[in-house]
Amino acid sequence: MSSRRPSSRQSSGGVSRISDDQIIALVSKLRHLLPEIRDNRSDKVSASKVLQETCNYIRSLHKEVEDLSDRLSQLLATIEAESAEAAIIRSLLM
Amino acid sequence: MRSPFSLKQEFLKNWILGLQRCRSSKKNMSIFERKKVIKLSADVAVASARNGITCWSRALIADAVKEGNADKHLAEKILGPASERQPTEKVPVGAMAYNKRIRSKKIPKRSSVIRRTIKCAPQAARPSSIVKRLVGKRRQILRSLIPWGEFMNGVSLIEETLDYIILLRAQVDVMRSLASASKLVNLN
Repeated sequence: MSSRRPSSRQSSGGVSRISDDQIIALVSKLRHLLPEIRDNRSDKVSASKVLQETCNYIRSLHKEVEDLSDRLSQLLATIEAESAEAAIIRSLLM
Repeated sequence: MRSPFSLKQEFLKNWILGLQRCRSSKKNMSIFERKKVIKLSADVAVASARNGITCWSRALIADAVKEGNADKHLAEKILGPASERQPTEKVPVGAMAYNKRIRSKKIPKRSSVIRRTIKCAPQAARPSSIVKRLVGKRRQILRSLIPWGEFMNGVSLIEETLDYIILLRAQVDVMRSLASASKLVNLN
């Protein structure tokens, strides 16, 4: 039974009922964010697969941030050009 | 209330501010140290873009300045003077991008923000059948990937995850653009 309580305030010890619909909606939003699953148009993706893909995706995003930080630190160390753009980047970041 | 800036702009603005706060010490940094500054300021910037609304963003900043964290001083430098910082114990009453419902979380005392006592949303009284499927190892792994995920459950975990992914993507996009721009500039 779907009891959509409008209130989200936590009363003392209060607990909000979560309906299946809400979970389904959230999981499907998650699914749409994931590149792999989004490209696979099938409607039947299990929640557990979504979780798995989510974890993989977050890990890959973390790794990209690491790699990009590496690249940026190297690039910025070697900016030697004297163009106006280089000066801007240098002054912003260094 | 949504600021007119897009997420990416908000992130970029915060990131540049943070980097500029570290400028003086940057003169003779090693590449390793520079990378640390770039990454930490980017992470803090992405969390600040959420302005204390989400649990994960408060977690990220609180962890960065936690006692015992090796880079605590660097993080504090990046965050700037306390008067300019966003409050970390804000009650999340704002609307999130995709869901107007925010669980009210217990407001911790200022001192306990550092000590990870923020309680996130409680579990459902009767877990739905789908929530039951979101248990076990995979959920544990997900919780380990989100800042303070171990305090989240059920719907709040998924909501936080959604938000976290959106912000992470904005962070990666902006960093990538900057990297290509720097490369192009170098080639000229």
